[in-house]
Amino acid sequence: MYLKQKRSWLSIIGLLFAVFVIAAGTFHSSQAQAAKKSKKVFLVGMEANYPPFNWTQQDASNGAVPIQGSNLYANGYDVQVSKRIAKRLGRPVEVAKTEWDGLLPALTSGKIDAIIAGMTPTPEREKTIDFTRAYYNSKQIIVVNKNSKYAKAKTLKDFKGAKLTGQLSTVQYDLIKQIKGAIREPAMRDFSSMRVALQSNTIDGYVAELPEGYSMAVADPNATYINLSGKGGFVLDKTESQEAIGLRKNDPNKATINSVLSKLPNSEQSRLMQQAVKEQPQTSSQGNWFIDIWQQYGGMLLRGIGMTLLLAIVGTAVGFIIGLLIGIVRTIPAPKKRLQRYLINFVNWLLSVYIEVFRGTPMIVQAAVFYYGAAQAFGINLDRTTSALIIVSINTGAYLAEIIRGGIISIDQGQFEAATALGMTHFQQMNKIVLPQAVRNSIPAVTNEFIVNIKDTSVLSIISVSELFFTGSTIAGQNFQFFHTYLTISLIYLIMTFTITRIFRLIEKKLNGPKNYDLMTNDFQIATPKIAGK
Amino acid sequence: MEKDNILTIQHLKKSFGQHEVLKDIDLQVQRGEVMTIIGSSGSGKSTLLRCLNLLDDATAGEILYNGQNILDPNFNRIQYRAKVGMVFQQFNLFNNLNALENCVVAQTTVLKKNPAEAEKNALAQLEKVGMGPYVKAKPAQLSGGQKQRVAIARTLAMSPDMILFDEPTSALDPEMVDGILDIMKDLAHTGLTMILVTHEMGFARDISDHVVFMDQGVIAEQGSAEQIFSSPKNPRTQEFLQRYLKRL
Repeated sequence: MYLKQKRSWLSIIGLLFAVFVIAAGTFHSSQAQAAKKSKKVFLVGMEANYPPFNWTQQDASNGAVPIQGSNLYANGYDVQVSKRIAKRLGRPVEVAKTEWDGLLPALTSGKIDAIIAGMTPTPEREKTIDFTRAYYNSKQIIVVNKNSKYAKAKTLKDFKGAKLTGQLSTVQYDLIKQIKGAIREPAMRDFSSMRVALQSNTIDGYVAELPEGYSMAVADPNATYINLSGKGGFVLDKTESQEAIGLRKNDPNKATINSVLSKLPNSEQSRLMQQAVKEQPQTSSQGNWFIDIWQQYGGMLLRGIGMTLLLAIVGTAVGFIIGLLIGIVRTIPAPKKRLQRYLINFVNWLLSVYIEVFRGTPMIVQAAVFYYGAAQAFGINLDRTTSALIIVSINTGAYLAEIIRGGIISIDQGQFEAATALGMTHFQQMNKIVLPQAVRNSIPAVTNEFIVNIKDTSVLSIISVSELFFTGSTIAGQNFQFFHTYLTISLIYLIMTFTITRIFRLIEKKLNGPKNYDLMTNDFQIATPKIAGK
Repeated sequence: MEKDNILTIQHLKKSFGQHEVLKDIDLQVQRGEVMTIIGSSGSGKSTLLRCLNLLDDATAGEILYNGQNILDPNFNRIQYRAKVGMVFQQFNLFNNLNALENCVVAQTTVLKKNPAEAEKNALAQLEKVGMGPYVKAKPAQLSGGQKQRVAIARTLAMSPDMILFDEPTSALDPEMVDGILDIMKDLAHTGLTMILVTHEMGFARDISDHVVFMDQGVIAEQGSAEQIFSSPKNPRTQEFLQRYLKRL
């Protein structure tokens, strides 16, 4: 029975590992299915968070298209155009919900077939990808608050002294340079962020295209927009206020797609856009905002929580196993035989490189390199969730390896010596004596790492993994209740991290064992003394 | 009469960097004898003991165990260590295991005994050192004397040919010392080979078959307990023993 207890921590690790393998297996099979399907599916990349061009909704109403790898749907002007093209190509269409910055690498690395996301063909972009003819002719505007002094502006000159911004890597952000005396604030990642910034008055306005103005006017009664395409407005090439479809260089479908677009006159474009503005998600807040958010988006939030927990649990568990293995290897005493010594030194060197690289670079960069880079350079096409799980695991492994090494070297030298003197091998010492103590000492640091993982997996939105933060920005993009939505999200994060802290406290207590011990007693001593005369 | 040496040490040297701790040690240990190594701090007693169990690697020389050189790279160190027990000054009980598990773990991992048998043997050894009631206690819950008893039981559970004791009572409160010495005395009578580094001169005199006086990395004098304690020849031995006898 004593031995059983001792083995239990190893079996827990084994169990976690098994869970990971099964999880990885399921993802692998879903990935295989996706790969089989992708031969036929026309996969279109867009943010699905930029109404009225594209947005996310929860059902297939109004001719929405499924979003790959989720049970959500995308709709909007871009989606309607995508459907026309897919119909002509004779392929079913699906949307790959992708961050704006991730669209170009997703296309060049073959993760998607086309970008239909309100993208303007600029010379820089044309260096890496091809563009079709325009599918929407737009106008440049600045969105401002109705009650601000810029609401009455007519020309660029009127924006002197205004704090303005635009979306990162867009034509619109560059246009701010044309406004003399305006303060060009740092660019923002997406339209949700800009809308929040405008509502909270941290900016006076943002440069966008006309449909965004329609959209904001519907969604936010306090917002209005100034059209700056005419006289005294922005000066720009005709192509710079056009939206076109991005394709990989020399895509054979380009001619077909162009012919579809040629049958989309301005009047038809305008009709589709008006329809999109009408159909875009509306805020339906009648009562308590908190209940509203849960009623409308409860399912999405739960899936976001699930994904965040999956990433954090698998990442921490696998990272822990990696950390343990590295801890064992790095503390092997220098062998007597030369060849073995060289081999050990080489392995140790490799492990140091691994730790330095993954501790020394941000996880967001690792994710982008791994997901887009691997596909672009080697043609390895992993699905998002698998990539995310791998990145979180090896990133956590690098940290936990050092934490566990610290736990091992903090153990009294006498423990090693006594075990060595009894004839135990390095592995036996580690397994029975050292690691149980090192792991116990490392638990506070592992808890930390777990909590960091819950929060920091939000950076994986770069590869469009729909964890909690990504879900939150999607919801905020739909309901325009930025403050309330992000408040809800932060509350969920807080509950998760707090719960996990408590759970690990309990584990710590359990590992410490009981404070008192039973003396081994014989039956004679155990027997309750009988008091005479009673 | 043919001598039956369990250990033969020849020209043993050990340096830590520039510092030479053991300078050309020659020593023979007979099977079944109780050998005590005495000497002032820094004379190399503990280092010699650690070299004998390969916790420290000798720089030069030979240590023959039953005729085999244990410093040979192909020598099976694991098997040797299982046969040669060591009791430490600081006890070094495994902190994550209780008294019984401390005595079981090496039996099952190194000797590959089955758990039930190992547990039975461990209980017997713990009983022998008077720790029967405490088998479930963790090291942190035991006193120094109790820990050292468990450490001795842990070594005995391996059925060793020889036990090395490295100042086993130096870290104990004075009232704990006698109990440990009694256990060692009992062990000495079983015919087990024991090598003991100690500052307990009275005890060394009582139980030793063979006393070695070390000074500055060399064996300054050796002989029977009677010879060394009653009529030491080397002036350094005399000086050392006088300091101790004065204290007694």
